[in-house]
Amino acid sequence: MTQPEVPEMDVSPAKRSPWRNLSFVWLVPVLALIVSLGVAWQSYSNKGTLITIVFQDAAGITPKDTTIRYRDVIIGAVEEVNFSSDMSKVIVAARIDKDVAATFSPDTLFWVVRPEVSARGISGLSTVLSGVYIDSAWIPTTSSDAREFKGLSETPLIRPGHEGTRIKIRSKNGTSLTAGAPVFFRGMEVGRLDTPRLSETADSTDVEAFINAPYDKFLNTNSRFWNMAGFSVTLGPSGLDLNVASLGSLLTGGVAFENMVSGGEPITDDTIIRLFANETAARDSVFTQLSANSVKMSVVFRESISGLASGAPVEFRGLRIGQVSGIGAFIVKTDKGSAVNMRAVISIDPQALGLDADADAETTQAFIAKLVAEGVRARLSTTSIFSAALKVELADVEDATPAELGEDGDGTPIIPSVISDLPDFTATAEGVLQRINNLPIEDVMNQTISLMASIEAITTSQSTQLAPDAILGLIDDARGLIGKEDTQAIPAEVRGVIADLRSIMAELKERGAVDQLSSALVSVDKASADIAAASGDLPALIEDLRSIATKVNELQAEELIAAVTRVMNSTDALIGAEGIKDIPPALASALTEVQASLRELREGGAVANTNATLASAREAADAVAQAARDFPDVTAQLDQVVSKADALLSAYGDRSTFNSETLDLLRELKAAAKSVAQLARTIERNPNSLILGR
Amino acid sequence: MENPGNARNYLTAREAGLVSCTTCGKLHPAGVKTCLRCGATLASRDTQSLQKVWAWWIAGVIAFIPANTYPMLKTATLGSQSESTLLGGIVELLHHGSLGIAGIVFFASIVIPASKFLAIAYLALGIGRPHRSSAHLRHQVYEVVEFVGRWSMIDVFVVAILTALVQLGSAASIHPGIAAVSFALSVAFTMLSAQSFDARLIWDADKDQDQ
Repeated sequence: MTQPEVPEMDVSPAKRSPWRNLSFVWLVPVLALIVSLGVAWQSYSNKGTLITIVFQDAAGITPKDTTIRYRDVIIGAVEEVNFSSDMSKVIVAARIDKDVAATFSPDTLFWVVRPEVSARGISGLSTVLSGVYIDSAWIPTTSSDAREFKGLSETPLIRPGHEGTRIKIRSKNGTSLTAGAPVFFRGMEVGRLDTPRLSETADSTDVEAFINAPYDKFLNTNSRFWNMAGFSVTLGPSGLDLNVASLGSLLTGGVAFENMVSGGEPITDDTIIRLFANETAARDSVFTQLSANSVKMSVVFRESISGLASGAPVEFRGLRIGQVSGIGAFIVKTDKGSAVNMRAVISIDPQALGLDADADAETTQAFIAKLVAEGVRARLSTTSIFSAALKVELADVEDATPAELGEDGDGTPIIPSVISDLPDFTATAEGVLQRINNLPIEDVMNQTISLMASIEAITTSQSTQLAPDAILGLIDDARGLIGKEDTQAIPAEVRGVIADLRSIMAELKERGAVDQLSSALVSVDKASADIAAASGDLPALIEDLRSIATKVNELQAEELIAAVTRVMNSTDALIGAEGIKDIPPALASALTEVQASLRELREGGAVANTNATLASAREAADAVAQAARDFPDVTAQLDQVVSKADALLSAYGDRSTFNSETLDLLRELKAAAKSVAQLARTIERNPNSLILGR
Repeated sequence: MENPGNARNYLTAREAGLVSCTTCGKLHPAGVKTCLRCGATLASRDTQSLQKVWAWWIAGVIAFIPANTYPMLKTATLGSQSESTLLGGIVELLHHGSLGIAGIVFFASIVIPASKFLAIAYLALGIGRPHRSSAHLRHQVYEVVEFVGRWSMIDVFVVAILTALVQLGSAASIHPGIAAVSFALSVAFTMLSAQSFDARLIWDADKDQDQ
């Protein structure tokens, strides 16, 4: 095999340093290595700090997926979920951004955000799709390196780092206090309530509230808190009053506060604020609690003080100047033995009287003594016409018997009192009804019927009818009389007389004077004498009697009416009978006398003795009439109130609390409706927004 | 010459005093520095070939590590984010019962790159020392490695296409992870490594063995 001629090769002997032979390509793996290491280092250093959070349960928490957020920024993720050694808790291990974890304070709060639908609104809606996440809140510090935390089972109402003031509120009754309920200041929501707890002695409910800055600067010792129960309806002298705070507080309740008086010290940490049942109580408390240097005085009443309670207001010419601080009975020795008197101890606030706030007791007592000398007396009066509650009133009493401040056994000055003139509506109404009830209507009817029967018996009796001669003679006389104008009026007058008699009897029946009257009519002479004993102002009396008569008529006294009719018929027949001339002269003269006496009555001639019975009857009639008049009035008033309320509710023009409240409510409803509509529109336009939360 | 795999008595261009252009294939007499036809630099043997092969190979291996440990895809669906690595994705596919797809992905993303590394290492290590397997087999291995290289990019294509398509705001979105870049780099480095391999060196080894 012939080897071809091999040309000189261009190959260097090349025993050079291996480094000089290095290809630049080696840069690539070096770079790759550097980059890889860099990436690895970066991911290692960014791995974050491992912390553990202990939860009661881990509903919805999934390792790797569940994020941890702060102010809605993701600061880490759950690494793994384990049980504690005794299986009683869940330990969530999470990696938190290094820089963020460095600022954790030991009391950092973690809680799981879940979708929540409550009266205050819907929250955490985004977690429906994305799953739950863990929210956190803390006050950043650099000094702590806490890595183990306790998780909350609920969203905390007040997050650390929130500016504001935390206050303690004590309430007698926590029924309407719910965690998260709003705190209002002049209608603005300025804070939230925490979870109510029983106090240590279990006699009240304590709840902490958080007032957001900057509203917390309005808090001071003069701030009064009251419970805004959903809504309240008050029917009072000012009409129907409806109070609604807000739609939210309607469901969850709430607390409102206001500074009723200017001034006041700032609230300290251990201040416990009292919660009043309603705004009125809160406002009233300002006056009762102002009197740090109030003066104690007492009032002795010699009447029932039913309705007067401790805490009842003490008013001077309508202005509240203090309150009743105690009520008791004590025994006084009198000449006739011992008697029980009622004593009310009252506290009077000198400031409310216009004295200096720091006026001492002597000054105030001297002032009261001066008032008493001028005729001011204590007495009881009702707080409103609808309530039986009483208050103590210091009022100017005319013609007061001169008196001065007395002194109690223990040195307390006694303000002289007068018997109260209580315009007690219920008492009045009851009295009226009582009187009506007491009317002996049955008796009167019976009496009248028997009277009529006896008259009938007289007219129909044979002796009467068999005396035609006398009657005929009488008729002659009568005809003569009839010829005269006066006489012609007699039959009418007789009827009038009977009507009057009826009314008189109706009136008299009350006092059992019917017997008297009937016997008077039997022996008509005597009757005329009795009837002559009428009252001074007879026309008025007659009017009253007439009205009573009509009322008696109305009482369906058909028997009576029938009897009267029969009497009238008999009388007519008698008068028309032929033998009327033979009527006994005695009867004729009696009739004349009756007529005369009745005329006297009618003409309003002076009557000798005013009968107490008749007076009472009149009073009764008055009372009945009054009552009859009053009832429609009351009904009308109630009607008015109702229609007023109706009017308020329907087309309202007035500026009342109710109106504004209703309008507010309506406005809120409208706003709510608008928001819903807006939300609907937004979703329609941009369905993503529901998902994105944007 | 019927069975080149067994033939030991062949003449290499170098032995014949010739040098061929790797770009256009024209033969030149030895000593010519540039191709007369295409102007490419001529070299009878690429003296730095092995260096380059190893350099690219190492770079590829380095890139292959994050490609497997870091997430390939970052999938965000309705607010929840999930990241999946290559192997994690395969396991997930297996869990869902998609054996076929899992097999394809496993084959394209793990088996092929890994076997390429092995193949290149095998070839590179075989240079300059006696070898049991024939030069022809190794040459075929080299051809396969070079051919298969581009197909390893399937994964990267899938990620690129998914990322481009699935961008539905917060409903669903897919982003490439570090692994996607690493994987692409790894594949590219491996391809470069294979390309840097001067197959002619296989023959030289044969010759050395013969002598």
